[in-house]
Amino acid sequence: MTIGLASEISWRLPGWPVKLLTSFSQAERGSCYDMLAAVEQTERRDLRVRYFRHAMDESRHAGLFLKRAREMGGMNRTQAVVADAGYLTDNGIVGGQTLIERMGERDFLAFVYVAESDAVEQFNVYLERELPDDDTAAMLQRILKDERFHVSYSRAALDHYRKDGGEVAVTRAMRDVRWNRIKEGWLRFSVNMGHFVGNIWLTLMYVFMIGPFRLFARIEDGGWQSTRPAVGDRLQAARSQG
Amino acid sequence: MSKPTTILGISALYHDAAAALLRDGELVAAVQEERFTRIKQDPSLPVRSVKWVLEEAGIGIQDVDWLVFYEKPLRKFERILSTAVATFPRSWKAFPRYMQAWLGDKLWLRNNLAETFGVEPDRILFSEHHLSHAASAFLVSPHTEAAILTIDGVGEMATTGLWRGISEPPFIEPVAEVRFPHSLGMLYSAITAYLGFAVNEGEYKVMGMAAFGEPKHREKIDELLKLDPGGGFSLNMDYFSYHWHPTESYTEKLVALLGPPRFPGEIFAFRDAPGDYPPEYIERCHHYADVAASLQQAVEDAMLHLVRHAHETIGGDALCMAGGVALNSVANSRVAAEGPFEHIWIQPAAGDSGGALGAALWAWHCVLGNPRLEPMSRPGLGRAWSRAEVREYLDDLELEYEDLGTAENGADRAAAELAAGGVIGWFEGRFEWGPRALGHRSILADPRTAEMKETVNARIKFREAFRPFAPAVTEEAVDDWFELAPAARDPARYMMVAVPVKEEKKALIPATIHVDGTARVQMVRESDNPLFHRLIKRLGEATGVPVVLNTSFNLKGEPIVASPVDALATLMRCELDALYIEGFRVVRSRRLSGEQPLLEEV
Repeated sequence: MTIGLASEISWRLPGWPVKLLTSFSQAERGSCYDMLAAVEQTERRDLRVRYFRHAMDESRHAGLFLKRAREMGGMNRTQAVVADAGYLTDNGIVGGQTLIERMGERDFLAFVYVAESDAVEQFNVYLERELPDDDTAAMLQRILKDERFHVSYSRAALDHYRKDGGEVAVTRAMRDVRWNRIKEGWLRFSVNMGHFVGNIWLTLMYVFMIGPFRLFARIEDGGWQSTRPAVGDRLQAARSQG
Repeated sequence: MSKPTTILGISALYHDAAAALLRDGELVAAVQEERFTRIKQDPSLPVRSVKWVLEEAGIGIQDVDWLVFYEKPLRKFERILSTAVATFPRSWKAFPRYMQAWLGDKLWLRNNLAETFGVEPDRILFSEHHLSHAASAFLVSPHTEAAILTIDGVGEMATTGLWRGISEPPFIEPVAEVRFPHSLGMLYSAITAYLGFAVNEGEYKVMGMAAFGEPKHREKIDELLKLDPGGGFSLNMDYFSYHWHPTESYTEKLVALLGPPRFPGEIFAFRDAPGDYPPEYIERCHHYADVAASLQQAVEDAMLHLVRHAHETIGGDALCMAGGVALNSVANSRVAAEGPFEHIWIQPAAGDSGGALGAALWAWHCVLGNPRLEPMSRPGLGRAWSRAEVREYLDDLELEYEDLGTAENGADRAAAELAAGGVIGWFEGRFEWGPRALGHRSILADPRTAEMKETVNARIKFREAFRPFAPAVTEEAVDDWFELAPAARDPARYMMVAVPVKEEKKALIPATIHVDGTARVQMVRESDNPLFHRLIKRLGEATGVPVVLNTSFNLKGEPIVASPVDALATLMRCELDALYIEGFRVVRSRRLSGEQPLLEEV
C-alpha cells in the first residue's frame, strides 16, 4: 500500500523518474562495493563466488539505470556531473567500516535478503501498475531476474545458519534488519529536518549578527604577501589548531 | 635499543583523505583512503588507511608517538568566517551550509581525531596546509637546499606559497604567500566546472581537452587572471562565485564572457571525425576546447611567472613543487624546459593526499629537529598481496588461471602477450602513492598502432575520446624516444611531465602521442620498479620498441584498483585480454561477469 502510493507519486511527478533512476544507480553502485568488500571479508569462502557475482550484477544494474536516466533526458547539471565523474553518494561504509564488518556475516546476509526482497516487491509494483514507460519496464524486467537470484542465494545461505540451530538468531536478524531500515529512514528524515531548521536559525544569525561586521571586512588583495617564520617553542605551536 | 619514534600523518575532511607512517623518519607506508573504500576522493577520516599502515609497520595505535593533521582547522574556519562577512549579503546561502559542517564536526577536530583513532589529545599536532605540501616536496627530494613552491586551491588562507628549503632545522622557512580568493587552483577548477567536469576531479580532463583547441580566448582569460610585476597574480573576482556560493564557482559575468557552459557528459565530437554530429555541435565542442587551451596556456604562463619570481627571490638551482596545480604535467614541462631551475622535484601525490606525508615529515624534521634522510625512491608505498592470498581468491571464485611460477615469469609472458596485440591488466606489488598508475596497478598495451588508443578507450576504459594515454619507457631508452629536458628527469619518474616525442619516433608509438605531439611519459628506473622495467625491456626485445602504453587500472568513474578483488571485478566488466597478477594469468569468466548463469540459476 505504502510502496504503491509512493510509487504512484514518484513516477507521475515531472522530473522524478529521472531522479529515481539516478538514485537507484547510485544505490546499486554502492551495493556493488559492499558486495566486493564482502568477497574480501567473508568468513564463508563458499559464498565468495555468489557475493562476487552479486557485485557484478549490481554494477551492471547501476549502468542500466544511469543509461535509461540519460535517455529519458532532463537530468540537471548537478546530477549529470555526479554521474559523469562517478561520484558515489550512497554506500555502506560508516566510520571506515564496511557493511559486512559492521553487521557480521549472518546479519549481513539477512540485510541482503531483506533489501533484495524489498527491491523485488518494489519493482513488481512499478510493473503491475504500469508506471514506467515500455523501455524502462523492459529494463526493470531484466534487473528483476537478477534480483530474484540474489533473494534466492541469500535465503539459501541463511538456511545454512538455520540448519545449524540458528533459527531464532536468523529470525531475530531479519527482524532487526527490517527495524533498522525503518529507523535509518527516520534518522535520515530527522537529520534533514535538523538541517532545515538549523539553516533557518543560521540564516537569521547571518543577517542580524554577521551583516553589521561587513563594514570592517574586506577580501584579501592579490599578489605576494610576505610571511615570517614562526617564533617560540615549535612543539607548542604545532599543538595549536589555530 | 630504544623504541623508534612513530609519526602518523593524516589528511582528510575536504577531499583525498590519506595516511602516511614514518618510523624514525623512514617512510613505511602511505596510502589514499579512496583505494580502500572505493569512494572516489573519499574525504572522510582515513580509518581504513590508518588501520593498514599500522598493520604494515606491525604496530598498534598505542605505538604512535605523534598523530599529525595536515592543516590548522581553526585558521581555516577563520578564513571561511571572514570571507562570509566580507561577501555579505551574497554569501547567505553558503554561510548556513558551512557553519553546519563546521559546528557539527570540523571545529572539534582534536577530539574527533582522538576518539576515532584512539590517540591521546596531547599527542596530536597540526601542521599548516601549504607547509605540509612544502614538506612533502622538499623533505623527500634529493636536494639539501631549494626554492619551494606550493600551488593549489586553498589551504587555511594561502593559495600559493613560496618557501626556502635549507639544510638545517627548521629546514623550511616561509617567504611569501598569495591569499584566498586569488587562486590558480580555484581558477582552474571554476573553468573545469564551466566545461562540465567535476571540480577537483576533472581538471586533468581539461588539460587533455586543451590540446584539441587553440588559445583563441586568451585575452578573455587574461581578464580573469592578472600577473603582476611583483611576481604574483590576482583574479578578477567579479567572474567567480566560489568565495560566496556553496556550490557554484563562476558568475553570469563569466558566462557572458565565454558563452554558455558545456553540459556534463556531452560527447566530444572532433572536426576530423565528425560522425553523425551536426557542424554546429562540432564547432561548439571545439569552442570548449579553445577555452580549455586558453586557460591551460594562461596557467602555464602564470606558473612560469611564479617560478621565475621564486628564482629571483631565493636563487639556487633546485625547485621543489607540490599542491594540486603541480599535477599539471603540461605546465610542469614548460617550467622544466623554460624555467630558470636546473633541477625540479615534484611530490608524486601533489594534491591534498600528499599533505598526510608532508605533515608527518614536517613533524619529524621541522618540529622535532631530526636530520634529513634518503630521498623518496619508489612509488609503491601502498598495500601488497601475497601469491598465496591471490591464489585463494582465484580458487574460491572458480576462475580459469595459469600459474606462471614467479612474478618475473609473469612479466616475460605479459610482454609476449602485449607484443602479440593483447591488452592486459597488470597487478604487481604495493600499489602506488599518488594519483598516477606507475606500473603496479596498470592497464598495458602495445603503443605501435593508433587503433590501440581507440581499443583501450572503447572496450576497456569507457572514457572520453579526447584523453591521451601515457607511455612508459625504460630509463636507458628514454632519451632515444623523448625530448626530456634535464630538469624534467626526476618528475618523469612519476609521470609528472608531458614532453615532446622525438620527431623520428612519432610514427612508432602513435597510441601514446597526444594530438599536440607530446606524451606524459613515465621514465621507469630499474631500482624504482624492477618488474615493470623488465616487462618493458622484454617488450622492447620483442618489438624493437621499449615503450608500453600505460594507463591506470580502473574503469571510468572509479578509483584505481587496490586489491585482487578490485582487479578481478574490473577484469569481469571490460574486455581486457588477461590479468597478470603476482605471477598468475587470469582470463575473464562469463559466469562471474553475468553473461552466463551460475549453476544454481540454471
